[in-house]
Amino acid sequence: MSGERFLGTEDLAGLVGDLLAAGTQVIAPAVAGTCASPAALASSACLRPGAAPELIQYLSIQDPALLALGRGMPSLSLKSFFLPQNEALLHWKQRGSAIELEPAPVERRRRVVLGAKPCDAAALEILDRVMRWDYVDELWVGRRDATAVFTLACPMEDDSCFCPAVGAAPDGTRGADGLLTPVDGGYLVEATTDRGRELLAAHADRLKDLDALSDGADLRDQAEAFRAAARERVAANLQIDAESVRAWIATHYDDPLLTALGVRCNGCGACSSVCPTCHCFDIVDEPDGVGCGTRRRCWDTCQTGKFTAHASGHNPREDQNVRFRQRINHKFSIYPLRFGEVLCTGCGRCTRVCHAGQDLVEILATIDVAARRGEPEPTAAGEGDAA
Amino acid sequence: MNLYGPQLATVVDLIDETTDTRTLRLELQDPVAREVFSFRAGQFGEYSVFGAGEAPFCIASPPTRPGAIECTFKLVGKVTTALREVNVGDTVGFRGPYGNWFPLDDWKGKNILFVAGGIGLAPVRCVIWNVLDRREEFAEVTIVYGARSVADLVYKRELEQWATRNDVTTVTTVDPGGETQDWAGRVGFVPTVLSQVAPSAADAVAVVCGPPVMIKFSFPVLDKLGFADDDVFTTLEMRMKCGVGKCGRCNIGPVYVCKDGPVFTAAQLKQLPAEY
Amino acid sequence: MDDLRDLARTLLESGEVQVVIGWEDGRRGARPAFVTAPEGAGRLIFDTRCVHNLATYLNPRRPQLTGLGKVAMVVKGCDVKAVAGLLREEQLTRERLVIIGVRCGGVLEEPALPRAAELTPATVAPRCYGCDNREPSLVDYLVGAPQPEPPPPAMTIDDRVAALDSMSPQERWQFWTDQFSKCVRCYACRQVCPLCVCERCIADKTMPQWIETASHPRGNMAWNLVRALHLAGRCVGCGECERFCPVDIPLSLLNRKLQQVVADRFDYVVADDPEKAAPIGDYRPDDRQEFIK
Repeated sequence: MSGERFLGTEDLAGLVGDLLAAGTQVIAPAVAGTCASPAALASSACLRPGAAPELIQYLSIQDPALLALGRGMPSLSLKSFFLPQNEALLHWKQRGSAIELEPAPVERRRRVVLGAKPCDAAALEILDRVMRWDYVDELWVGRRDATAVFTLACPMEDDSCFCPAVGAAPDGTRGADGLLTPVDGGYLVEATTDRGRELLAAHADRLKDLDALSDGADLRDQAEAFRAAARERVAANLQIDAESVRAWIATHYDDPLLTALGVRCNGCGACSSVCPTCHCFDIVDEPDGVGCGTRRRCWDTCQTGKFTAHASGHNPREDQNVRFRQRINHKFSIYPLRFGEVLCTGCGRCTRVCHAGQDLVEILATIDVAARRGEPEPTAAGEGDAA
Repeated sequence: MNLYGPQLATVVDLIDETTDTRTLRLELQDPVAREVFSFRAGQFGEYSVFGAGEAPFCIASPPTRPGAIECTFKLVGKVTTALREVNVGDTVGFRGPYGNWFPLDDWKGKNILFVAGGIGLAPVRCVIWNVLDRREEFAEVTIVYGARSVADLVYKRELEQWATRNDVTTVTTVDPGGETQDWAGRVGFVPTVLSQVAPSAADAVAVVCGPPVMIKFSFPVLDKLGFADDDVFTTLEMRMKCGVGKCGRCNIGPVYVCKDGPVFTAAQLKQLPAEY
Repeated sequence: MDDLRDLARTLLESGEVQVVIGWEDGRRGARPAFVTAPEGAGRLIFDTRCVHNLATYLNPRRPQLTGLGKVAMVVKGCDVKAVAGLLREEQLTRERLVIIGVRCGGVLEEPALPRAAELTPATVAPRCYGCDNREPSLVDYLVGAPQPEPPPPAMTIDDRVAALDSMSPQERWQFWTDQFSKCVRCYACRQVCPLCVCERCIADKTMPQWIETASHPRGNMAWNLVRALHLAGRCVGCGECERFCPVDIPLSLLNRKLQQVVADRFDYVVADDPEKAAPIGDYRPDDRQEFIK
């Protein structure tokens, strides 16, 4: 990375302050908590005693002191800043027989994401494909165009990560405008797009050339070593041939390996809600009063029975086996076929959040074996007699 | 307005086809939009009642008669209940046209067979009028249509119009037990009557739409009559929301019904998983 | 757990059941197991990681499971109360089910461990302390050696409810508003709950639309409160809803509070006896009514 420069920890805080002062929204991993009311102390006593002491989320921060870079995986992905959990599409007002419509404004406020997980940023570029497919989704595109994203090189979260297996990387910049890599005293930062370069140029006073630092070469080595070690570490978690997995799923739709994946699944959709690439949504009309209301879209999941239920009562996907197969099919076969991208960046959240024990690493490994050898092999955890 | 915002349309007419099926005739409110609106037979729109939501229906009026957009729907849920409550003069929303269409230009000179059941006549009716309005481009036109009972037949006035034309063969039937005392048409399930009428498959295409059970038993009849799978066309319905390929719910395997459909050939259907 | 595995193997070999639902080791710790072949019985485990309430898999609205045939299910004393609930409400018939009770000394809250760990106040599941069903009676078989009592957790659920009760109504409203603003309406709480068995959940009804679909605070408050109310007198306190929630909403506090109210007003606590009538389905002329204003 030849264009790298050094951004000290204090200068990072200063950079955030500069951005905020300029009216730019800053989104970063931060420690999420309940409101800072007098009841907060008592209320924290009500939370699950076993819950993680620090809940890290991507938040829009007003104070550089809240930055929590590199302190864990934000529990929800960056998705909600580009495709919100629920967002107004339009408002209507009724006047007699006539209706007045007001579209929801396209958000164009300048935003910067600092320290995104590379898997979360890559997801944004993958979703760009469907959001621009023939019809352009202005709400998504407006936010993408207004947001600069800098990823933070990731050391690997745990053994449920598998970004390289699906074409992402722990030091990736897909979907992003630059990369931060942790080193002593701060970060090395490099821009990878014009927008990233412009941002860094506008805040050049916060950055130092490595040649001007006595330990510049050392920092460069540190950064490279960090990234190389992470790539090697996470590659060991799962090695699959994504293309042969795609082809196998497309031609083995009724294979017992695929038709029994939903036995354990509760059909809750927690996986979809934490997933950076799941984008399925519902559209609903909600009255705000008499004769007026909002048409919204909100996150939805193919894992519920209602997802494909016809008003007539007919449901093409009537049980959880069929619905879970659809999830695997959409992510690893349909989306790659239609858009040339796997609809997954290997972040591992679905596996971590599934308390029923569904494990995407295991599922992909099993399909990969079947794809490469033509027959499924027993794995330690399940012999396929779970059907 | 963004991608998901509808155009506003005024209800200019409504016809109760049966006790639970209604046709609405809409005019886009914006005069320029009304002037330039065009579509092809088979495409659909998302019709909305503000406060209840949107539902997808094929455009039931033919593209050869612009100026108004028609939809025919059965009362089954929240949106159709709200659509049943709108009156002439009320405003509804319309987004479209979306989806693919029946390739009428490829059918020039051919015989066209229409097979429909119940409310499945709605998307087919659009094609029928489209064909009849370009009558000299096509050879023989045959319509086989049936419903559970006489009361369940839709587009009753138009059935009579088609029956009195001498450039169309119209065969109407009701299910056994659905006939009235003065019913002059046939009695029997549509697939049965179709095999009795036995139209020739030579130089012919078939347009089929109806309840799943009717389609299931009509396809083998057409196959036996010699229709190739590439020459049998149908239109699918699926639960839809966005209609433009973004919300991820209407797919059958790798095929998005709102973008690659709703018109499919029997050949294409056979390639799809049985998830529709 | 040889007696459990032998029993499972025998039940499958004889054809008395077609599937045994228990726990197994997955890549990330203990998880539910569905054993259909006698050879698979060796996968079954029971240790402190077996926190999952498997009774949810008896929901008749899981056609991929009901289609497998007669079930033998391994249950802890807490889980079997949910089975009793389903029997009480006639969601199941007793003949379709073989119940294998297992003697339990408490479980960890976190099953994603490579090996079973000892229970400590910090790691034990909140529902274990004070367990009143350590020798479950609604069972066809009871396996496992007697276990010691589970240790008290760092903070019991009643302590946590008391912390909530000590707030003023405004503070408590603000607390729940903040918590429900996190809700993403994934319905994990509903899907995992053994007693949420409605064929068409109120949240899915559109005519009329009782609960708004989109995940804004108004709709979220309605959903979570309605679900708690629909479980009053039925919830067995397994806490799976809270464990499954991907955004860490302390759902079990709502259910525990309502359990306390039901115990106080109607003299009723859930037990593993399906014959014991629940307040929601029972009426006595001498029911207390002084709280009805």
